[in-house]
Amino acid sequence: MSNKNLFLKSGFIRAPIQNGVGRFVPQLQRIVLKFCKTYGASQGLREFIEQDLVDFAKENPSVVVYLKPRRHRGPVIVAEYLNGDRVWMSVHNKTHSEITKWIEVLRTQQGDISSLRLRKYQYTDYPSVQGPWTPFTFKDPELNTAQLPDPHFGANDRLPITATEKLRLLFEKQKLSDVKTAE
Amino acid sequence: MSACKRVQQWATFARTWHIFDCKWQDPYQSAGVIKKYLMGMHKPIYHPLNDCGDVVVCINSREIALRGEDWRRRAYFHHTGYPGGASWTLAWELHNKDPTMIIRKAVYRAMQGNLQRRHTMERLFIYPGEDIPEDVLQNVTNQIRQLRLVPTRLDHIPEEEVKNYPKVMDYPEDYILK
Amino acid sequence: MNKICVIRRFIPLTTKAMKCYPTTVQTQKIHRWVAPTLMELKVREKKLGGKKYSPRNTYLEWNLEAELYAFGKRLNEDFDSDLLLQAFTDRSYVIKEEQKQKDLGIDIKMKDNRELASNGEEFIKNYVQVYLETILPRFPLEGVSGVREHLISEESLAHVSLHLGTKDIILAAEYPVDRFILANAFKAIVGALLQSSGDERAAHFVRDFVIAQLQGKDVNEFWTIDDPYEMLTNILKKEGATLEPRLIGEAGKNTILACYRVGLYVEKKMISSGYGESIKIAKEMGAREALKKIFGTEDHMKPNFQLEGIPKPNTNIRYQIAAS
Repeated sequence: MSNKNLFLKSGFIRAPIQNGVGRFVPQLQRIVLKFCKTYGASQGLREFIEQDLVDFAKENPSVVVYLKPRRHRGPVIVAEYLNGDRVWMSVHNKTHSEITKWIEVLRTQQGDISSLRLRKYQYTDYPSVQGPWTPFTFKDPELNTAQLPDPHFGANDRLPITATEKLRLLFEKQKLSDVKTAE
Repeated sequence: MSACKRVQQWATFARTWHIFDCKWQDPYQSAGVIKKYLMGMHKPIYHPLNDCGDVVVCINSREIALRGEDWRRRAYFHHTGYPGGASWTLAWELHNKDPTMIIRKAVYRAMQGNLQRRHTMERLFIYPGEDIPEDVLQNVTNQIRQLRLVPTRLDHIPEEEVKNYPKVMDYPEDYILK
Repeated sequence: MNKICVIRRFIPLTTKAMKCYPTTVQTQKIHRWVAPTLMELKVREKKLGGKKYSPRNTYLEWNLEAELYAFGKRLNEDFDSDLLLQAFTDRSYVIKEEQKQKDLGIDIKMKDNRELASNGEEFIKNYVQVYLETILPRFPLEGVSGVREHLISEESLAHVSLHLGTKDIILAAEYPVDRFILANAFKAIVGALLQSSGDERAAHFVRDFVIAQLQGKDVNEFWTIDDPYEMLTNILKKEGATLEPRLIGEAGKNTILACYRVGLYVEKKMISSGYGESIKIAKEMGAREALKKIFGTEDHMKPNFQLEGIPKPNTNIRYQIAAS
């Protein structure tokens, strides 16, 4: 029932070696395109190689692209990342545009994301700005020296004002105004 | 983790001991407040799996005030589990037998009926009068405010104050009260 | 190359965001009746000493020149290609190659990375020291050296090196490469960069990869203070102030989960407070907090990871914790 017996590991989003703090290092290390020169299912991959591969290689000089033409085998893309992950993806019968999009996904990933279940979609090293809450944060310091139970801290202080109290306050006000007029 | 983080964790999850004076209070109304402190719902770090509940010490539970005709009419049911083991006890009978039971049952009823309830109830201490063991009283660092007003008796107010209190009207000196 | 993966992965519940990327690892379909064969194969493999992983540079798809070029481009640096190759060549590899060449009779001189590594190490050490002194102006020198030792340690450099992708490119006798060789390779890369691009670029490289590892770490952890209260009283005595500790909060005094809060006051003003399981611990932690404030290394400090060039530290306000 709990997480311990599941094979899918869980973790938090982390950038390896604090990637963005200093310079940004693209995480894709190398990409291997295995295709057949005549097989129909490799059509999309072949088109990608013919049309978009050189531009891709020019735009991403940090990625080493290997081509493996293999007869009678299905088309496959294997992406290897800096943290050691290896993503094997079959592009059997995928169209050129689909493959372009998948290559874009592989290029911008950080590793094999399907091997980790993200527990939260955010991460921070500093969850609290003013300091974490403690029971002492909003405590009245007078409670430190009080002898509990004390009616000063125990009685209800949010009751509505009674009629008697109102009259008394009116009387006090009247007394004051009398004193003022007398002066 | 480092010492600073360790003590920070210790402080954030520290268990405070609260005291609540049940004198002239409605047990069912106060149970709603007490249960919050017991479960830890008054804390921003609350989570049901977090074990963040505080301890509440209730005093003067003999002095509680049930509403209306409840003392005479409210009955508490108990079944021993054996055939013919059902019993209905009236509130005044139960209170005479054990003055802490009514408030304990009220708090138990106020809580959610989950598996944590029995564990949380262990954190509630109820004393019938003002006598609390010394070590329990020393642990207490906070007081929960009462919900109902406790009126002061006329003979408990000092004479000076009674005399000087402003009067709207007063009987003439030779008036005879029937 | 057939990839046999027996573990079936679970498909998490898809949301709109999740539909974009592969939610399962694509693996070969293995039928139920193949299981006994595979189990027997695994037993035999285990008997022979476990699964043998061949290093990446023995694969068919490997081009060292391309890898080195990509490595340089990844780090946004221009390396001299010979120097870079030299930086990745480990001593053990050279020894192995020389043995092989002796057997064959040819003699090709291969340069190893010891010299580059030592240059790099010295540069890293000096630069990190100077940088830390600049960004932690009030931190005592013992603390600064503690942080520096942690950043330059073999473990830290090996970790950085691993995640830069050096483990596949390094030429060594045995694979997988161990920590010392990884750290050495990193130092050699810094040495190579120093020689090819100069001081400033190498400084920025070290800043972005070594000093950035401080992000999220508490700088006070790398230096043990034996008696923080005494240290604090000494510091305040020099300025002519007296310290007054007071108990400002407690919870559950007689329980085992007791928590105390002690505040430290200087001339009736609170400078810090500390929590603890006992009053002694709380006092000590309060003193530590006060020291953090004095040294400017509290939790919310923001060290500058973007300093350009080689900074010059100003040591006027630094506190001298001399062993007197």
